[in-house]
Amino acid sequence: MSGILPFILRKIVSRVVVFFVILSVTFVIPRLLPGGAFAYLVENPNVPAELRESLIKEFGLDKPLWDQYVDFLRQFFTTGNLGLSFSRLQPVSKVIMEALPWTIALVTTSVVLAALIGVTLGAIAAYRRGSKFDSSMVSFVMFVRSMPSFWLGLVLLIVFGYYLGWAPLYGAYTYGATYSSTLEFIQDVLAHLWLPIFTLTLLMTTGYFMIMRNNMINVIGEDFIYVAKAKGLPNRVIVFKHALRPASLPVITALALDLGWSISGALLIEIVFSLPGVGKLLYDAVYMTDYPLLLGIVVYTSALTLTLVTLVEIMYAYIDPRVRLK
Amino acid sequence: MSEGAETTRYKTLKSVLNVLAEILIRNKRGLIGLLILSVPLAMAIAPQLIAPYDPWKTVDDSFLPPSPKHLLGTNDVGQDIFSELVYGARISLFVGFAAAISAVFLGTLIGLIGGYYGGVVDEVLTSFTDVMLLIPVLPFMILLAAMMGQGYINMIIIISIFAWPSVARLVKAQVMSLRERGYVEAARAIGVSNWRIMMHHILPQLLPLLTAFVVLRIGGAMIAEASLSFLGLGDPTQKSWGTMIYWANSSGALSSGLWWWITAPGIMITISVLGFTQIGYAIEEYVNPRLRGRV
Repeated sequence: MSGILPFILRKIVSRVVVFFVILSVTFVIPRLLPGGAFAYLVENPNVPAELRESLIKEFGLDKPLWDQYVDFLRQFFTTGNLGLSFSRLQPVSKVIMEALPWTIALVTTSVVLAALIGVTLGAIAAYRRGSKFDSSMVSFVMFVRSMPSFWLGLVLLIVFGYYLGWAPLYGAYTYGATYSSTLEFIQDVLAHLWLPIFTLTLLMTTGYFMIMRNNMINVIGEDFIYVAKAKGLPNRVIVFKHALRPASLPVITALALDLGWSISGALLIEIVFSLPGVGKLLYDAVYMTDYPLLLGIVVYTSALTLTLVTLVEIMYAYIDPRVRLK
Repeated sequence: MSEGAETTRYKTLKSVLNVLAEILIRNKRGLIGLLILSVPLAMAIAPQLIAPYDPWKTVDDSFLPPSPKHLLGTNDVGQDIFSELVYGARISLFVGFAAAISAVFLGTLIGLIGGYYGGVVDEVLTSFTDVMLLIPVLPFMILLAAMMGQGYINMIIIISIFAWPSVARLVKAQVMSLRERGYVEAARAIGVSNWRIMMHHILPQLLPLLTAFVVLRIGGAMIAEASLSFLGLGDPTQKSWGTMIYWANSSGALSSGLWWWITAPGIMITISVLGFTQIGYAIEEYVNPRLRGRV
């Protein structure tokens, strides 16, 4: 029996290494490509000479590459700073930190809801394999999985926002509104967020449904289920008591592996619904060619993904000791 | 997979047609996929026969609603939206296909080398693959797209850079089992070079499966193209379904109720992805009959 601590330590070390690599890549990319990310700034004739000088100093562009790299790492690890956003003239880290809670809230709510709904529906579909419910669920899931996520968001926005008026067309709260209580603010936010959460949950549920359904079908074919049947237990008990737990464990692995995609999907949904999260920042950064902000988003979303994945894996190792041995 | 039989099957035209019929006509999924795909494929092959107008020309007033004259109305500059849709098929399908091929090529190369050599080489390649699977793809894609500049060739390169890891994993698993086969060991024993064994003895065994991988990845690549285009990173000199949604959205189609402008290109993307997925499954079922009836 190996303990859980060495496992956790090993995971954390390897993820820190990965993060270090990503940091280095975000340092290299803008300096590598022809023209470079800073050309926009340094070679732009509209930027006044004085400002240019000070910006070159600010980014240390006059120093040798190696010194720039060391500075970059030292700055990041001491202050979390990744330079100044061109478009907002604020530290990148500050801009991102303000947006990050929205993204985290959107992703975690949707992932949890989707996992619960997907696992339940997947189990029922497998239990009633070949039934009308099963085949229509599978067709529906296939159909949803063929749609671009942002487009599904747009369509739902047209239906529920524009035509039915059940959801506002943009934003996470009413702009310029004053609230008499926190409760009122929460109500307003929920009225804005239910549709993006619904969209993202729907998209993610399809993935969990397919995984759960397949796992369940495999587990139902195993010996211990055969034994349970031989004992004369009712089908319902076999499926929901004996098979559910082993079949839902791999869903956690899938959840961890898919987080990178889930976060990407969430960013797109945020853009569609104009939520003030990291997705919106990403859109603005592209629109304003704000490279420091873009790089900062890459670094921070990577950090977020790696942290969440590692947490999920540790949780999984805690539930299922077999993983620790790998 | 029956060894040797697969490769000889591909040799004559007659048997190629036979394989195609097996996948696209006698397999229900394949047939459904083919039927669904016939619409976008027809648009891509002969747009000038289907589209009533030149999609680049201003042919009427702006923002006209759908009518018999303009099936999907006109856009912000008075171009016929239905004609844009028809002409958009070619670039959307091409980007999806080219990116899927490149991704499978990259993934196969990495999976083949890792699976065949094993050891340190494999460990390095596997951890690289895992990192690529772990990172949040969208911000990275956007970063590259913003830096490389807009163009559909760049788009293909960017999508394939992020789509190969899953292929590499699957190929590696296959190669690891093929490597242990008797005929591979025999080839090694008589001194055939590693490269030759990989190219002549292992790769041909994988080809049927790789075809399925390509077809199954066209859809994902098309969605990636649409997503990047939606963010304004598409090729401004081309009309794809993704750039159409981008223009519709940025011209306020949503808040002025011009829903057909947004939905039509999305429906085309959805049915294409659906069609390719069905055909991909049909190919997989042909390659590995045990998969039949799994969903």
